[in-house]
Amino acid sequence: MAPITIASGWPIEARRSLLAGIALIGAVSLIALLAPWLGDPYYQDFATGLSPAGLPLGPNHTHPLGTDSLGRDVLARVALAGRVSLSIGILAALLSLALGATVGMMAGFYGGFLEALLMRLTDIGLALPTTLAGLAMTALLPAGLLRPVVIITLLFWAYPARLVYNETLRMRRRGFVEAAVAMGEARYRILLRHILPHLKTLLLTYAPMNAAAAVMMEATLSYLGAGVPLPTPSWGNMIGEGQGALAFAPHLFLAPAAFLLLTTLGFLLIAEGFKQAHSRGIRFSWLAL
Amino acid sequence: MARFIGARAFQGLVTLLGLVVLAFLVQFVIPGDPVRMLAPRTPTEEVAQRIRAQLGLDRPWWEQLGRYLTRIAQGDLGESYVRRQPVARLILGRLPATAALALAGVLAEILLGFPVGVAMALSPHLRRWLSGLNLVLLSLPTFVIGLSLLLAMGFWLRLLPTTGGTGLRELILPALTLGLAGTPWYAGVIRDRLEESLGSSYIRMAVAKGLPNRWILVRHCFPHVLPAVVTMAGMDFSAYLSGVVVVETIFGWPGIGSLAVQAMQTLDRPVVMGTVLVGGAAVILLNGVVDMLRMFLDPRAREGIG
Repeated sequence: MAPITIASGWPIEARRSLLAGIALIGAVSLIALLAPWLGDPYYQDFATGLSPAGLPLGPNHTHPLGTDSLGRDVLARVALAGRVSLSIGILAALLSLALGATVGMMAGFYGGFLEALLMRLTDIGLALPTTLAGLAMTALLPAGLLRPVVIITLLFWAYPARLVYNETLRMRRRGFVEAAVAMGEARYRILLRHILPHLKTLLLTYAPMNAAAAVMMEATLSYLGAGVPLPTPSWGNMIGEGQGALAFAPHLFLAPAAFLLLTTLGFLLIAEGFKQAHSRGIRFSWLAL
Repeated sequence: MARFIGARAFQGLVTLLGLVVLAFLVQFVIPGDPVRMLAPRTPTEEVAQRIRAQLGLDRPWWEQLGRYLTRIAQGDLGESYVRRQPVARLILGRLPATAALALAGVLAEILLGFPVGVAMALSPHLRRWLSGLNLVLLSLPTFVIGLSLLLAMGFWLRLLPTTGGTGLRELILPALTLGLAGTPWYAGVIRDRLEESLGSSYIRMAVAKGLPNRWILVRHCFPHVLPAVVTMAGMDFSAYLSGVVVVETIFGWPGIGSLAVQAMQTLDRPVVMGTVLVGGAAVILLNGVVDMLRMFLDPRAREGIG
């Protein structure tokens, strides 16, 4: 087998973080992809899926992660929830990043009235109390799987917009942009050919962090009953359902929580890898310890 | 200084007004009829009309907004549709619980984040383990941290109560939840500022003078870190004062956050508006206080104002 060539020129620590993150996301995605073969997530087995006292079963041979209070297989539900939570999280992360980057670039590059308008909107977006605003938006939008995507996009776009705006402002004053302007190149071409490539590192580092935050936000909304509508499982609403059984069936909380943790940790490790690859390492200290 | 405070106060009032108007208008877009939530059974059209007239809901939106603004200018936040109590009293009743949780949460963040940040800056060996820990804490949404603590401390170790209440023992878990969720952010900022300071020329000077390490840290490094911590703590405190929705829900803590969520579910407009108003005012007021405090702590920020 050929040696792994991902990020081979990077510092060892950065590469280790990146590969660990990719491995985690890969493992979770694999289980999510295998969902149809892991059992029926909706089948309520009251005959053999519950203990004689009618309580959820713990992990056993037929149900590797146990069953929930309706006798449904937790592994099958967690896997299907992985499909739901991962696709919502990644989609919302990409949409908010694309929207934010576009707003930030336009505001930073074109300036004037557009800049004032877009950046005031960004300020409002940054000032929103995330959870409460998410709940309020839930009341405004029709229920469905796309609702959390729209809500998370609306809650998240302002953060990358502010970052990209600052970076674009710095780029604007650089010589190569001024030269391109002097040579009479079209505005949109300067934006796409000269400025966008310089934002690559920023966007690549921000994208996985954004994905982690989006997956967490989806879980929070679903936990509060404002995200993925039941009976479709998502990690958040599974935790919400399992909360009442914390005393006697903690696996109903631990199983989805573990998958959630592995996913966000994976994304953050990837981001950490990018960060370490571009940082200057530990700073110098005069204090000898 | 007085001019600066005046300008900030005016700016704050304008922001608050904008917030109130925006929140008021959003409620007209939200589908759902408050009258239907109020009436015990589905009311006849005549009854519904009478309730609407009583609450002033039959007027056009600009008139309702005008009336609302006039009333809050007189200090009257209106009366809850659902609970038939003055909104101001409802919120004031919840305020001590929320304030206690906010204060305890910020304290926990500082008490946990400060040592972690300092250890990360000073010891390359501890740094690896602590940044791993930080990464895990960052990967957990607040409600998962809260439920894990509830499971571990309440159900497994049976150290702390698992049901709601407002006592000191009931405060520990929600405060610890906020503290653990905030730790990686505080540790990161404290580590960055401390490293900045450790490489600076005034520390070289202090080392050259032969001052002991501990003295250098406490007298020369920490003052550089302090303004950043105060800023973060102030922002968190004000944000928590407007209600810590998730944590209050998990631990059954009777604060403003759970009040806001209930009010939103029952379309209790005056209460929703009241919590928005009080939360917004808290954020704006405390951010002003934090700016003052930072000027007091950081001579460089003082120069910015004439």
